[in-house]
Formats: sequence, C-alpha cells, structure tokens
Amino acid sequence: MNSIKKIILGTASLSLGLIAGCGNDDEIVMWTPLTGEDGQVMDQMIEEYNSTDPEFPVSHVVTPDLYTQIYTVMNTGEGTPDLSIIHADRVQGFVELDMVEPMDDLMNTHDKLNSDNYIEQAWDAGTVGDTQYTIPLDIHSNVLYYNKDLLAKYDAEKFLDDNVVTFDEIMSLQGKLDEGQYAINNSLISWVLLAETVNLGGNISDEDGNPTIDTPEMHEAMEAIVEVEKAGLMTPNGEDGFAMFQGETVLFSSDGTWSSLAHDMVEDLNYGMTNIYAFDNETFHNRGSSHLFSMLKNEERSDEKEEGIADFLTWINENSITWANAGQIVASREVYESDEFKEYPQSFFTSSQEELDSLLIFDYEYYGYVEAAINLYINDMLYGNISIEEGLANAQNEVEDLVAQGHGADINIEAEEDAE
Amino acid sequence: MAKSRSFRLTKWACYILLTIMAAIWLLPVIYALTTSFKSQSDVMQTGFRLLPASWIMDNYVRVLSNTSSAPIVRWFFNSLFISTTHTLLMMVFVSLAAFGYARMDFKYRDTMFFTILAISMFPAVVNIIPNYMIVHKLGWVNTPLAVIMPGLGGVGNVFLVRQFMQGLPKSYDESARMDGANDFTIYFKIILPLIKPVLIVTSIFSFTGSWNDFLWPTIVLNNVDQLTITAGLQLLQDIYGNYMVIGQLMASAFLAMIPTSLLFIFAQKYFIESLNLNTGIKG
Amino acid sequence: MENSFDNDNTQHKNRKGIKFKQWVFIGPHFIFFVVFILFPMIYGFYASFTKWNLIGSPSWVGLENYEAILMDPTSSFYSQFRNGLVNTLIFVAGTVPLQVIIPLVLAVMLQHKGVKGKGFFQAIFYIPGLISVTAAALVWLLIFNPRLGPVNNLLGSNVTWAVNQPYAWIIIFMMTLWGAIGGNMVIYRSAMSGISNDLYEAAEIDGATSFVKFFKITLPTIKFPLLYTIVMSTAAAFNVYAQPLMVTSGGPEQSTFVLMMYIRNLAFGQGQSVAGMAAAMSILLGIVIVIIAAFQFRLMYRSSK
Repeated sequence: MNSIKKIILGTASLSLGLIAGCGNDDEIVMWTPLTGEDGQVMDQMIEEYNSTDPEFPVSHVVTPDLYTQIYTVMNTGEGTPDLSIIHADRVQGFVELDMVEPMDDLMNTHDKLNSDNYIEQAWDAGTVGDTQYTIPLDIHSNVLYYNKDLLAKYDAEKFLDDNVVTFDEIMSLQGKLDEGQYAINNSLISWVLLAETVNLGGNISDEDGNPTIDTPEMHEAMEAIVEVEKAGLMTPNGEDGFAMFQGETVLFSSDGTWSSLAHDMVEDLNYGMTNIYAFDNETFHNRGSSHLFSMLKNEERSDEKEEGIADFLTWINENSITWANAGQIVASREVYESDEFKEYPQSFFTSSQEELDSLLIFDYEYYGYVEAAINLYINDMLYGNISIEEGLANAQNEVEDLVAQGHGADINIEAEEDAE
Repeated sequence: MAKSRSFRLTKWACYILLTIMAAIWLLPVIYALTTSFKSQSDVMQTGFRLLPASWIMDNYVRVLSNTSSAPIVRWFFNSLFISTTHTLLMMVFVSLAAFGYARMDFKYRDTMFFTILAISMFPAVVNIIPNYMIVHKLGWVNTPLAVIMPGLGGVGNVFLVRQFMQGLPKSYDESARMDGANDFTIYFKIILPLIKPVLIVTSIFSFTGSWNDFLWPTIVLNNVDQLTITAGLQLLQDIYGNYMVIGQLMASAFLAMIPTSLLFIFAQKYFIESLNLNTGIKG
Repeated sequence: MENSFDNDNTQHKNRKGIKFKQWVFIGPHFIFFVVFILFPMIYGFYASFTKWNLIGSPSWVGLENYEAILMDPTSSFYSQFRNGLVNTLIFVAGTVPLQVIIPLVLAVMLQHKGVKGKGFFQAIFYIPGLISVTAAALVWLLIFNPRLGPVNNLLGSNVTWAVNQPYAWIIIFMMTLWGAIGGNMVIYRSAMSGISNDLYEAAEIDGATSFVKFFKITLPTIKFPLLYTIVMSTAAAFNVYAQPLMVTSGGPEQSTFVLMMYIRNLAFGQGQSVAGMAAAMSILLGIVIVIIAAFQFRLMYRSSK
C-alpha cells in the first residue's frame, strides 16, 4: 500500500510542479481556428504587434476544434478568451444565443474601426440589426484556378478575356480534350452551387428566415453543373480533383484562395486565378467566408482590456499585410489598397469594385446546416446516383428538421430578452 | 515419418503465410514512409512509384522548423510525462481492480462488474461537456492532471486483466491461503507475476492510447506550452481538407509515432521474454 | 493497515473484513469510474430527453427525441438513425470476425516452436496501429487512387474504389484491419503463453493434428481473453467513425455513413449543436452494443460448459 501511496503522491506533486503560469490579466488571450500555415502567419503578425510594446500583449491560442471548445467554456462560464476569431456564418447564431459582446465601445474610441475601412461584405457579416458584433480580418473565398499551359494548348485563353468563364465556354470544350484530361474539377463544388444559385437570383433563405434549398433556382444551377459532368468535362467521381489540378490534367479548378500556397509547392505548375464560372459575364459571384474578431461574453473583461483589444484591432487594420501570406484577401481597406498587396495573386478580388462586389458571404443563421446538407447530397446528384429533385428535397427536409430543433432553445432566449 | 513431415510442412506453411501477411501489412507503411520524402509535385504527378524521384527532407524540416508557435521538444516531454504517469497509475488501478473483480469473493461482485462494463460501453459523444465541467471543478484545466486522470476510470483494461486472472486456477490462491498468505500477498506475490505478459500488453495499450489522444488535450489545455505532441502536431495540419501537402502530413505522422514504436519494440523484448518465462514455469 | 488483512481470509467469519476489504482493491478505480464515466453518462442520459445546443442549459422535452428517431418515418432523424445503424452493422459484420480470426491465426503461427523472428513479425503487424488515422486514410486512398495508386496500375483495373460499392467498404475494411489486428494478436500471444508445451507434446504423441490441438487445447485455454477481444472489438466497431469519414465521407449515397458520423455531426457539426438528439441516438446505440455484448457473454459461457 505504501508504495502505491508513494507513486500517487509523487505523481501529484510532480504534476503540480509542471503547472505553468496560465491566464494572465496583463495579456489578451485570443483563440483562433487557424491551424497549419495560417496559424504560423498569425503568430508572426502577433509577434510584430507585441514587439511594439503594447500595454496588453496578445497571446495566441490555436485550437483545431474551436467551436467545441467555445461550447465547453461558455458552459462553465470560466476560461472564456478575451478575443476570438470566428467564421461569418456563426455570427447570427452567436448573437441570437447572446454569446458575443457588441463592438460599440471599441468603435467609439477608435475611429479606424469603422465600416468605411473594410470590405463591405466582411463588415456586414458582423452586423445584426443595427449593432456591430465583429471586426473583420479577411475574406477567404472560392476562386477559379486555371492552368496556363493547358489553356494555351486548347486555345482557351480567350475564355479569360472578360474575367468570367461561362458555362457555355466550358461546354465548348466538349470532345476537344485528350483522353484523361478534363475541363473542370469538383473541388468546393457546394460553394460553386451556392454562387450559381445566387447568380440565378435565388438564395438559401427567405425573409422569414426559413431555409430555401429546394427551389427552382438551385435546381437550375445544379442542372447546369450536372450538364458539364454529363458532357465528360468534369473530373470523374472518386478522383481527387485537387490532386488532378496539381497533376496538370485539368484546365480549371474551383478551389479556395488559400490553396495557392499548396499550388506554389508544385514545380512547373503555371497557374492563374479568376472568378468562379457563371452563366454570363454580367452576373457572377465568388462564395466566401470571413474570419472575424469577436468578444465572447465575459464579465471579467475589464474596460482597460477592451481598450487594449481596440488598440490591437486598430493595429491589425493598419498592418495586416502579413496576413496576405496566408493566401487570404485582407479585409482592411488600407491594406488591400496598398501596392504591397497588389503583389499577391488574391489581389485579383480587390482589383475593382466589380470584383469586390462579387464576393458573396452568407450570414444566414442556419448556414452551417445548409452547407452540410448540400455537401451530403451534392456528389450523388452530380454523378447521377440520385436525381436532383430527390437530393434537394432531402437536403431541404433535413435542414428544416434541424432548424426546428434549434427553435426550442431560441424561444427561451427571446423570451428572456423581452423580459429585460 | 509421416509425423515429422507434417511438422516441417507446418513450419514452412507458417513462414509462407506470415511472410505474405507481413508484406501486405508492410507495404502501406513503406509507401507512407517514402511519401514523406516526396515533394508535392512528386506525389501528384508521377503516376505510381514507390520511391521518390528525388529524396527530399523538406517535409520533415518544415514540420520541425516551425518552433515559434510549436515548441515540439517541449510537447514531446509533456507527452512523455503525461503518458508515463498515466500508464503507471493505470497499472496500479487496473491490476488492483481486476484482482478484486476476478479473485475475491464478495456479494454482487459479478453483477457490479458487468454493470460498470455495460455503462462504459455507451458512446460518450456529448459527455465531453460534463467531463469538462468536472475537470474544471477540480481545478485541473490547464494542468497535466486533466489529461492524466480521467482515463483511469475506463473499464476496458480492467476487463482485459480480469479475464486473464480468471483463467488462473483457483488452487493457487487456496494453497497460498493455507500457508497464511493474505489477499495482498496473493495479489502481489502470486497473481501479478503470472499475468506479467498481459500487464505489459496493457501498459503498451495505455501508453499508446494516452499518447495518441488529441481531442481531449486540446479542449483542456489552452496553453501551447503544455500541449501534448499528438495534439500539438494537429495544430500544424491544415483544417481545410483541400489544402493538403501530403508529404508533410506523412512526415508529422511518422515523427509522432517514433516514441510509441520505440516503446513497443523495447517492451516487446520483455514481452517475449516473459512469454518464454511463463511457459518455462508451467511447462 | 496491514493488520486488517491478516488471517481473516481463509475463513469468512469476520463480517467487517468481508464487507470492506474488496474496496481496497476495487475502490481506487471505482472512484475514477464514478467521477469520469458514470456521472458524465448520467448527464448524457438526461440530455437525451432535452433540446440542447450545448450553450445554454438543456430544456426538457420528454420522449420527443426518441419518438422522432424511432417512430416518425417523416423525420430525417428517423432515416438517419436507420441508415446509420444498418451501415454500422455492416461494418461490424465485415470487420469483427476478421479482427478475431486473423490475429488468432497469426498468434498460433508465431507460437510455433520452429518459427524464428517472432519479434520482427509481431512488430510488423502491430506498428500500423500506431499511425494516425488521418495519415493512414491518406495512404490507403493513395494506394487505391485510380490514377496514382499501385492497385489499379498493377491490376490494370478501372474501378474508382472509394465511390463504388462494394469497393468503398473493402477499402474501409482493409484499412481498419490493417490498424486493428496487432492489439488482439499480442493479447492472444500472452494468453497462449500459459499453455504448457507438455500438453501439445502429449497430444502429438496421441496423433492429434494441428487443428485438433488448436480446438482442444489452445481455444479452451484462451477463452477468457478471447471473450474480451470479441466483446471489445465489437464495441469499438460500433463506435467506428474516423475511417469512413476520411475514406469515403459516408458515400456513395450515404451507404458508408455510419451512425457515429450522424451523432457527431448533430453534436459537433456545422451550425448550432443538436446535442439532445445526438445524446438520444448515443443512448440507443449504447443499448444495441450492450445487448450484443450480453449475447456474446452468454454464448461463450454456454459453449464452454
């Protein structure tokens, strides 16, 4: 028995010895979901900020499962970070659940934190009603990569002349490609579908906040994509479209801006960026999301610290050019209008007002459900395993069931708010 | 004559089957290993080839060189401390509990055991929240205790060791009791030595399980310096499925498994020794 | 402390001793079990009767979740649960028998006196289990990649494995077995070490074949550990999640979408959490696992009598 006790006591004391100082009142603890390369770029940026000797230095915590972690700390009400980066489609839900603080106080004292200084859509993603809840860092969007060598080979460079590749242009390649080569891959195809739906005048929700997936617009959009597949122009089912683009067997790749980092690692891959294909060269969209700074509700956050947060966000507004290294479109006007930013390929999206307008961010409260449901069925619809009717109807049904689940909790909170 | 022929045949049959199986099992490991030395273009462009067109260390260098946000050496020692402590405590708890459930007589012993086993079999998906609340109440968040302790309540290892203890003849305890031994002596002097092989197996399982866990450590350890290596390396991989540098992912997977592989190879020596020893005693 | 153990063991007369001494052995583990398994489980059980988004406190809805899952064919939770459970059962049936038989055969062969290099073979079969599931899935996808992989290149086949059945299941089964047999194999090896060589030699003198020796000597001796591996491999297989997620994302047509994927999506997927429903599905899955485990226990004990 004694030996067991010794082991336990020894271990306990050793463990206590290992506990390092954590949670510091003099620093801003910031949680982000930025794993991989993104996290390193963010670290670099924070190092730059901390070297300016601010009153509240920032301490960056990357967490691969950010939302699970937010749920766990919000539940106990302790250990809430001072600042966190969340995605655009989370804002509505978080506001509804009364989880985030408005940014009003920060904006009052720091005039840089102002809608004029950011890409409009990124700013609006944080507006609920008339209140601003987040300050944007970036937009990371869907983009159409093209292989310059293959375009030259098939005399398809003219597709790019108006900056919009159309369905018709893609279809014109039918029968012209060598065996084993394809016009377009299926990466992020659900994002493409959403953009096409909006191109046709549709949307994912109606004015009352109900999900609208099973609509004529989305049906037509899906049909157009399926037609490309039926023409043998899309990379086959089960093939890794991302790998095929890097393997130079496909002309266009509908992917994310951040993939340029991986593409750069492939020698001899001669690629460029343009808009996601559309029905005509007038109406086009690139579906994106946005990384937004937000303050989760926390009683212990002092006014001085909020001041420090505002200082940090102001500094980000002025100095986030480093963030362009992560392949993202920096949201700050000062940065994206700078000459330095124009060196980056993603500056394509900030090169004109028309391009800026093409960036499409959904802020529908139940966007997460919508995207997940579409992802569940899109591959089977695309390759003809199930009909478009069936796929969209099922997706619609699933999202409605999930939304109905959410409402139980919502009603309580609304009632509480009314009482206040 | 016939007998010795059939014996030799069996031996060679064993070799042939083992070799075929080993080849199948080894191929993906080798493929993964060589891929970790390939450049992204090499993986994507050159059809199937087992060996890289040119061997590069880039993937390893990139994983290891990111020390600003990733104190890999520190993570390594955190993991070593956490997994070792967890395993030692586990050995003590498990062998004691298994002895209780397998070789002591008390009322409702089996009912109690089967009840806790059944309870432990329910999937624990949403339980992460109450678990966090408990660890938080105990003040263990951001301490190694948060990752060392909760796993000790698991029933699987107790079940395994209990099964082995059940296989031992009752007569061992009875004759020891005649000689005046108490429960603790029987546990320590008679039963433990006999189940050494499975204790080694259990310790390998515990260590590996603790080493490879990544979700829980990232939830309860918010301080980068305190993370375990498996959880830490997770931060270095990109979350977007579409942005994959395959060689880097393989490299980090191999870096993370070096210690557990070494442990296995090291423990295996004792494991095989203890197997031979056991057969010796009873044979 | 030491004295309390003395002399009251051979005869069960000292009532106090009988009542409490087992707690010295099972107590430490039991405390941890109560705190870290039992209490969270009770909370999860409670959550299954609520609507809960993980943020606020759960709001009681009685049997609503269970009704939607079990009785309402129009609900998507009903069809998800059915489809998930069927696919999980396919996975269990496809992997568990092989997860027992392959390591058993390997252990018997490694037990063979004449075979050298036991440690070498053992390491080869064990080490794949140490590779992270993400990396393992990538390797297996590369191996079965229609363009880049050895399988199609060497066999000249045109199948796109991950998106066609039954091939999608075959990759998932292969990958799972590849990582899972090592653990059971070392358990069987330790169990077989208890078998005396004399027994085998005596059987050989009686002219017993290898098969007879296996069924008459080996199996009866290792039956308790064998039961452990069967029960625990089954329970683990019911919890499968990572392999289908990484290899097929549940496709084609959700035919490899296992129940645990639905449960995790509900609790921690995109958008607000639907944790009450997830908890209810977990409880139902747990009941299935426990019933099957009880069945396995009964079967093993009956056949051994």
